[in-house]
Amino acid sequence: MPIAVVTGAASGIGAACARMLTVAGYTVTGIDLQPAPDCASSFEVDVADADAVEAVFAAVERDLGQVDAVVTAAGFYEWVPLFDLDEAMVDRAVDVLLSGTANVCRAALRRMIPRAHGAICTIGSELGLTGDADAVHYAMCKGAVHALTKTMALEAAPCGVRVNCVAPGPTDTPMLKPHMKTPDYIASLVLQRLVDPNEIAAMVAFVLDSDQHNLVGQVISPNAGAVI
Amino acid sequence: MGLRGIEGRVALVTGAGQGIGRAIAERLVAEGARVAVNDLDPDSAASTAADIGGFAVPFDCSSRAAVHEGVARVEAQFGPVSLAVANHAFMTMAPFTDELPADWHRTIDTNLKGSLWVIQAVAAPMVAAGYGRIVCLSSYWGLSGWPEAAAYTATKGGIATLVKSCARALAPLGVAVNAVAPGVTATPQLHVDADAAGVTYDEMCAVYARDVPLGRIARPEDIAAVTAYLLSEPAGALVGQVISPNGGSLT
Repeated sequence: MPIAVVTGAASGIGAACARMLTVAGYTVTGIDLQPAPDCASSFEVDVADADAVEAVFAAVERDLGQVDAVVTAAGFYEWVPLFDLDEAMVDRAVDVLLSGTANVCRAALRRMIPRAHGAICTIGSELGLTGDADAVHYAMCKGAVHALTKTMALEAAPCGVRVNCVAPGPTDTPMLKPHMKTPDYIASLVLQRLVDPNEIAAMVAFVLDSDQHNLVGQVISPNAGAVI
Repeated sequence: MGLRGIEGRVALVTGAGQGIGRAIAERLVAEGARVAVNDLDPDSAASTAADIGGFAVPFDCSSRAAVHEGVARVEAQFGPVSLAVANHAFMTMAPFTDELPADWHRTIDTNLKGSLWVIQAVAAPMVAAGYGRIVCLSSYWGLSGWPEAAAYTATKGGIATLVKSCARALAPLGVAVNAVAPGVTATPQLHVDADAAGVTYDEMCAVYARDVPLGRIARPEDIAAVTAYLLSEPAGALVGQVISPNGGSLT
């Protein structure tokens, strides 16, 4: 059975990805601050801790076998007005959303590139495409993840490893702000509905599928038409 | 020359000791602005300031406290900053899987967080005055990705989104925030690329020029021209735009 590692696997999009990949036949290991019940096993690790992330990959490969697929869904979203953003808030966003993604991808690519096998799907955001006045730190990190994905893809593709990004729009998860669940907001979306986490997970599974060998360095945004 | 809304205003350009920043500072002086020349290196800030007729304000843009203190110093001496360019950057090149943690963090702290610190520090007085223009330097590589420049490209892509975010927050308050994303430009930074490729500076320029439809890489003055326009008064309808003078490399 193929092996997958999913970060942020305890809830929301990460949990949906864990379930979807399990159905697709993967043995899924979760990484999250909380236990991840939708995974075959999980590690309570902060993705901001590069050494801890490296140790998880070492343990997974020792106990289960070579990692075939990775999804980086760990993250958080908070509203802070621009002038109220302090160093601690910006540091935490950068450490988790950007450096955390890099830590996981680095641990994965160090293993995948030498054996010319594997695929990674980072999780970006529609807000990384548009910007977000109320969460500048979140949006800039997601924009950075999109660019990081392209660079990793350019380096890894000639070695037989694919890296892509799925950038969700407003998805019905615990992370979604309450106003985005109101009829007025939903009416503003082209599809007149929120994105279902399972739709994101389906997109992620599609991107990871080894049949998609021509899909490299793409940022794909299932967002109910929030950005076209 | 002759862009409306620059003459007599106080401008801050970070990372202006050399390269694109220096060219921007020089252009703004030519347009009649009073220009604060920032650099991490006090000597290069001082020599640029002396050469072009600006004044040196060295500080480390990766430190939020230093940025606020530096901007306050400019304001105390010359009045509030109404034009600002976050141009400073740090860069190393290495395969992503070999990148040193210290290089990763310094690049993020300087380029990405540092640009946010500059925006926060200059925008508050601009909002109070109801007018301001801010330009951040992104990069063509931040839009396209580039091998062996993971941290740099991540920060430059992040800056594009930072600019869109801040533009949304500040446009209703009279402050326009935009980005310039240069293609390969003839600056001292190309020594990093040349060293990584094991060729001379001139050979590196020629290699990059081959892939540019225009047939040459950009000059710092080309980037300064676009930046100066975005700082002018008529550019007020540009909100969160990322303009890439790249000779047609990415269209």
